[in-house]
Amino acid sequence: MKHYHFDWSAVWSGQPLTWLLHGVGVTMLLTVLSCLLASLLAVILLALRFVPWRPAGWLAAGWIQLFRNTPLTVQMLFWYFGALPLLPEGLRNALANGPILLGLPLPSSEMLTAIWSLGLFSAAFLAEDLRAGVRAVPFGQWETVRSQGFSTWPALRHVILPQALAHAWPPMVNQYLNVLKNSPLAMSIAVAELMYQTNQIESFNFHGIEAYASASVLYLLIGLALSQLLQRLGPAPLHDKGVPHGR
Amino acid sequence: MIQFKKVSKQFGTVPVLQDIDLHIATGEVVVICGPSGSGKSTLIRSINRLEEIDAGEILVDGLSVHDPSRSLNALRREIGFLFQQFNLYPHLNVLDNITLAPRRLAGQSRAAAEARAVALLEQVGLSEKQAAFPANLSGGQQQRVAIARALALSPRILLFDEPTSALDPEMVGEVLTVIRQLAHQGITLVVVTHEMGFAREVADRIVFVDKGRILEQATPAAFFRQPSHPRARQFLQQLTSPLHLSEAST
Repeated sequence: MKHYHFDWSAVWSGQPLTWLLHGVGVTMLLTVLSCLLASLLAVILLALRFVPWRPAGWLAAGWIQLFRNTPLTVQMLFWYFGALPLLPEGLRNALANGPILLGLPLPSSEMLTAIWSLGLFSAAFLAEDLRAGVRAVPFGQWETVRSQGFSTWPALRHVILPQALAHAWPPMVNQYLNVLKNSPLAMSIAVAELMYQTNQIESFNFHGIEAYASASVLYLLIGLALSQLLQRLGPAPLHDKGVPHGR
Repeated sequence: MIQFKKVSKQFGTVPVLQDIDLHIATGEVVVICGPSGSGKSTLIRSINRLEEIDAGEILVDGLSVHDPSRSLNALRREIGFLFQQFNLYPHLNVLDNITLAPRRLAGQSRAAAEARAVALLEQVGLSEKQAAFPANLSGGQQQRVAIARALALSPRILLFDEPTSALDPEMVGEVLTVIRQLAHQGITLVVVTHEMGFAREVADRIVFVDKGRILEQATPAAFFRQPSHPRARQFLQQLTSPLHLSEAST
């Protein structure tokens, strides 16, 4: 190892650089789209808890237990090798041949499967964070909004959820960062994200140390940017409302 | 306006309301008093069904609050409710706290709802606090905003559940002053309170409750001069001289 010759240009120039940058783009796209899907599903899972029909709540609870207690790798391989071939042949072919939706080209079926897997997996955790946030809202808030004549959904929307989100936001940011850190698993179904491209550089010129070190730094930078962005986008803590120095 | 007919309720095996018969007229100011745990809060919370009763009937405007033809949310919009803990919405500023129900329930425009809110804030003496958040207000200020919020939909009934019990003593006055201004303006007021000075001055009638039963109903003059029920006498003695308590109960 003492004769190892560090050559950062083996990663940061020419074809390897193109691969690396392409990988960064795919990782960011995969993370953002999975986060959006996970958020949507998490809100639906939370809403099921408030449907005045008990089995809806059980469905949400069962769904969450299933997806948070099985490995993401297994889920991703299940969707890709298990569920995808079960789709109707026409749809499968359309997905394989560069699918088009409403005139826009969709990502590959591998990418779509990765977004789907990451989204479903992460939604289970986000939904639990949101539920904890709802439970942190004092019961008096429910009583008050009901006493004003609001029914459940408007009460949730205007009074309970904004407060729940403020309580739940710090752990939710953790979950969004986990989406980024779980995204390399997509290389197991041949999504050419950052880790996939890093492996490719290592196989290409055997500069593994430089390649993996560079990938680590890139993940770190994306993660720092994402957490900064989410902290800015998120709601202010409730007790700091209106206090200029409280943030 | 509000009528209780043989209303009973239990928490487990503990009766909290027993055979309550009570009639409150339109525009009347009724103070409900009694020792803690006597069922006062449950009594007024059952009017807008924050608590459900086990037996009997509660009528508002001659119609049972449980009548299937009646919308509970419509009923609640006509009844302003004030909580001991104020319960302002902490994520909304003062103006938005007041305008939430008018805008989202009554379909008022933002401009109309805010104009009314500004007038209400003036009425409770907090014109300069429109943009403040609840966390930056004192308890007395929060409760006055809560009063403005309760008035925003122009309710015909106001229910106050110990509105000053969570306040520091020096803030009790500012809240009671605002409540006094609401009395005898056409709105029916039902106030659960230990503020006997307020009761004496403002109430048309005092209802004394103990162990879930109404033991006495009287005008303030009669009630404070000489309550007829011994339990009410003892209660008043304890309020006026707490140190006398142990002797009074022996």
